[in-house]
Amino acid sequence: MSNTYYEFFCPVKVIAGKAALEHIPYELSGLAAKRPMIVTDKGVRAAGLLDPVIAACEESGLEIISIYDDVPPDSSTTVVRDIAAVYRKEKCDSIIAIGGGSAIDTGKAVNILVSEGGDDVAKYTGAGVLKRPLKPFLVVPTTAGTGSEVTSIAVITDEKKGVKLPFTSSYLLPNAAVIDPRMTLTLPPHITAATAMDAMTHAIESFTCMAKNPLSDAYAAAAIKKVSRSLLQVMDNPKDSDGRLELAQASTMAGIAFSNSMVGLVHSLGHATGAICHLPHGLCMSLYLPYVLEYNLETIREPLSELLLHLEGPEVYAATPSSRRAEASISALRKLRDALYKRCKLPRTLKETGKVTEDQLDQIAEMALDDGSIMFNPKEVNLKDARAVLQRAWA
Amino acid sequence: MLAKRIQPMASQAKRLYVELMFQVMGRALQAVSEVDSEVQAEARTLPEGFLFEMMVMPDGSKLIVEHIGDGRFHYHGDSAPRPVDVSIKFKHLTHAFLVLSFQEKTSVAFANDRMLVDGDVSYAVRMTRVLNRLEAFILPKIIAERAVKEYPANLHLPEKLISAAQIYLKVATHFVQTVRA
Repeated sequence: MSNTYYEFFCPVKVIAGKAALEHIPYELSGLAAKRPMIVTDKGVRAAGLLDPVIAACEESGLEIISIYDDVPPDSSTTVVRDIAAVYRKEKCDSIIAIGGGSAIDTGKAVNILVSEGGDDVAKYTGAGVLKRPLKPFLVVPTTAGTGSEVTSIAVITDEKKGVKLPFTSSYLLPNAAVIDPRMTLTLPPHITAATAMDAMTHAIESFTCMAKNPLSDAYAAAAIKKVSRSLLQVMDNPKDSDGRLELAQASTMAGIAFSNSMVGLVHSLGHATGAICHLPHGLCMSLYLPYVLEYNLETIREPLSELLLHLEGPEVYAATPSSRRAEASISALRKLRDALYKRCKLPRTLKETGKVTEDQLDQIAEMALDDGSIMFNPKEVNLKDARAVLQRAWA
Repeated sequence: MLAKRIQPMASQAKRLYVELMFQVMGRALQAVSEVDSEVQAEARTLPEGFLFEMMVMPDGSKLIVEHIGDGRFHYHGDSAPRPVDVSIKFKHLTHAFLVLSFQEKTSVAFANDRMLVDGDVSYAVRMTRVLNRLEAFILPKIIAERAVKEYPANLHLPEKLISAAQIYLKVATHFVQTVRA
């Protein structure tokens, strides 16, 4: 009898493609919601991304009751409390989060407060605290990378205690994720590159780490193929809406994959680097990915070899001897990073970021060892190993 | 028919085995924190008074240890003096049995969703490293390799034997003291 076991869960309805935003009124009516509140940030509003959403709702006779557009990049319990107060005052009955990871996480946390009551969202931190469905909740991502629209976690900063609070529950998942290419069409090149590499890393770690399973593998492989085929195309032609949609779908698919099979050392190092050096998450992912794959190589040779097909296509896969495919996969990722560096100067080493000093590497290594995702890395990592990977990523 | 009669006995045997293993591990955690400097270094970063629990859901066997400072653990048996800080919860007795009988590595059990972490995940990661170190010491290499993700390459036989002997002696002494008390 096989010893394998896995769990897979994703109840989020994915609404993707041309005129997807126009499905929002119908979806809300199906959830008996008539008074939606939009949670977003100033950048999204300034980029005019709210306009097509509002127009889509108005055309169907659905009024947006309230818009909160002041979500900061690192959302806090105070912001969540303030938004919940507006939601209650305006008698809203549903939430539409529009934005990147922070706006989406904030929407999830606000939904806890307005559904469960109270003003202190910190009470609901941890896993499995929520026991019942929350209010109708739709997510419209405006970046193609985090996959937050299909993950059951939110992270909010508790300003008073100075700590990040994790909230985990399947009830945090939105009722629907609306993927419309119009929402990512104006993303600047370096953000397009970094967020796409975030999605790529989600998919690759999902495919190579300990909790991989056949269902998440399918999503991860498809996401890798989409990013490999479309990223440079979009970098060269940012208005390519088909390419944009491919990247947005890849991000959602990679999100479904990693939320069911977790991630590994790239994320441990990335989380620590983000916390210590304040580098964007997607950039850290792109930076560490090949070095961690090299570190894990002998434990992940088989799945990594398989990925060459999705990274480089059938011709290269067939022409590469099976014993060299894993190394060729890493080379393909290095090649992609070089191409991104050429187009938008996305850093490939810590030194190239200009924001990390060599004496911070020990601190990053120590913090990375305590990161939850290290548990799922296929190869054991000690302080010396983490430091060695960082040294390789230095320059 | 026979299987139906045997099942309750098998379940009871698993329960007793898991309970016994928790008692051994709890005492061994205390012991290893008295003899191994690496474990002490890991434990030192935990807050003093930090309470760690491993238990079987919903209300099964459990082990509770406290960091009493300077990298030392104190085994509290199955009752905590106050709410625990971090709890690793096996979803079912069978899952605990798989891990504690070394049929499934701790890391694999996490990956397989056999366990939940309640509390600060970074402390749970640290405690898992301590548990791995303990298992590498007290189990024969062939069994320890089934329990941990990677057997430590720098753990050589003389060090392992000396440390294991010290840990087992302390565990046995603690058992005797508990019985006498």
